[in-house]
Amino acid sequence: MQSIENLVTQIQGLSSNASDITALKDYLKAAEDLLRSESTRLLSFLDQLDPSKHSLVINVCKRYKDQVLLLEAPIRGVGPMLTAIRKIQSSTEHLTTLHPEFLQLCLLAKCYKAGLSVLEDDIYEINLPRDFFLYCYYGGMIFIGQKRFRKALELLHNVVTAPMSSINAIAVEAYKKYILVSLIHHGQFSSTLPKYTSSAAQRNLKNFSQPYMELVNTYNTGKIAELETYVQTNREKFESDNNLGLVKQVVSSMYKRNIQRLTQTYLTLSLQDIANTVQLNSSKEAEMHVLQMIQDGEIFATINQKDGMVRFLEDPEQYKTCEMIEHIDSSIQRIMSLSKKLTAMDELISCDPLYLGKAGRERQRFDFDDFDSVPQKFNI
Amino acid sequence: MDFSPLTDALASKSYEKIADICDDLMLKVAAEGIAFQDEWPYVIHLLGYYYVNDINSARFLWKSIPSTIKDSRAEVVAAWKIGQHLWTRDYAGVYDAIRGFDWSQEAQALVAAFSELYTKRMFQLLLSAYSTISTQDTALFLGMNEDDAAYSDVQQQGWTLDPASRMLTVKKQPLVTEQKLDPSKLQRLTEYVFHLEH
Repeated sequence: MQSIENLVTQIQGLSSNASDITALKDYLKAAEDLLRSESTRLLSFLDQLDPSKHSLVINVCKRYKDQVLLLEAPIRGVGPMLTAIRKIQSSTEHLTTLHPEFLQLCLLAKCYKAGLSVLEDDIYEINLPRDFFLYCYYGGMIFIGQKRFRKALELLHNVVTAPMSSINAIAVEAYKKYILVSLIHHGQFSSTLPKYTSSAAQRNLKNFSQPYMELVNTYNTGKIAELETYVQTNREKFESDNNLGLVKQVVSSMYKRNIQRLTQTYLTLSLQDIANTVQLNSSKEAEMHVLQMIQDGEIFATINQKDGMVRFLEDPEQYKTCEMIEHIDSSIQRIMSLSKKLTAMDELISCDPLYLGKAGRERQRFDFDDFDSVPQKFNI
Repeated sequence: MDFSPLTDALASKSYEKIADICDDLMLKVAAEGIAFQDEWPYVIHLLGYYYVNDINSARFLWKSIPSTIKDSRAEVVAAWKIGQHLWTRDYAGVYDAIRGFDWSQEAQALVAAFSELYTKRMFQLLLSAYSTISTQDTALFLGMNEDDAAYSDVQQQGWTLDPASRMLTVKKQPLVTEQKLDPSKLQRLTEYVFHLEH
């Protein structure tokens, strides 16, 4: 349509020079109504804008996303937003401001699979820390939705241990989910955070997530009845955090955990004994639980209905297959490329004047014999 | 709305591709701002997910369907019933849900294909999980009549029946997967080990 084409030419024309950019901003503000009505055609016009020259593309996309949410149709934004990200990124390793917006749309539209395509990329470059926090948090939520708990833990771990000068709300929420997913996936939770966590996080995170820490303690008793009572009494707190679904998954994971513990002690066990130990109502229920765990690959066992017994087996993986070779090979490749990247980053930082200044200042005074090429006081 | 990739896939019986095709199509159509919900083939979309065993995505799709559609289109509700049983792992219930509805012509082929695939999957599960199992349960898991289960298909696979206790003894089939030896991979691994040891 006429006016959108005008808009595009304006953008292309005015983006060349700094003072024009302010003019462009005003122009865009006025054109907001136009954007609103033409939002459907935005995708084709995005193609005409070269993102490296038109940094306001990001603003346009954000406005678009707000519109889409206002119309309560987040699914409309998913496709265009993904295209926009691919256009703005300098490489697939680059995290743009649009990444978290996109993931938020995916969550609201319940298009989790679409979000996965972006989450599969490894990130090495970030624009703003806030982007990173939100990206990891939303990404963690998407993986939780897809029940890929290991990857969810990775991302949530990143939020919690990221450098931060003071505690922020995203980290607190991420920590709560981190506790729950840790219980579901590992059956345990260690409250000691790694050394590289910021001191702000180390001091404050636990204070904000008291009910969750107590959930961990109840979980560790291994008694399902106690856990269920605790969840019931604190239901509202979990609900207001939107974590009730996860908490319920924690409860059902406890049955699995208890059954898995049995495999460490017994070679064979009767279904009735399993039901009694794990506090299930009948041997049939126990059989169904074991069957489901076998189906999910969480346990290796065979059920003997005739005798009502279960025999626990070793992991049959012999690590001799082609798939295993493929897996090992690709893992080694990934680690090698990661190592190269780290070496490159290390070299870059060693040349950075800020770093050298700090390293120089903190150096002890040495004798002449220990003199090194880095001067003790580095004046820039 | 251009459904040709979908109709092509259905015609060529590439059922495993249906879920992805539907997902991509849905995003494209949504981006154009068309109100697609009324005409969207939710039944095929859901069945496509079941075919590739992605019950998570099926659940999310069901949650996103507007309630007006849920009220007016019985087939969509029936299709979700299958998913519900898959989600709660009510193995026998899945068969009831499949058989409990008179499917439309376009859905029939996909439903039949899924039913076959599901029975195969359940059979594999029984093989790996049970050493002995009652004929009654076998019938439930495989969606068969108890007498059929006892005598025909399953016995063909080498399972033996003990008529006194109505128990079937499972015969494990040794899994023979083709091992395509790729010498270059082995070469690479040998080089790594050599490098690490020196």
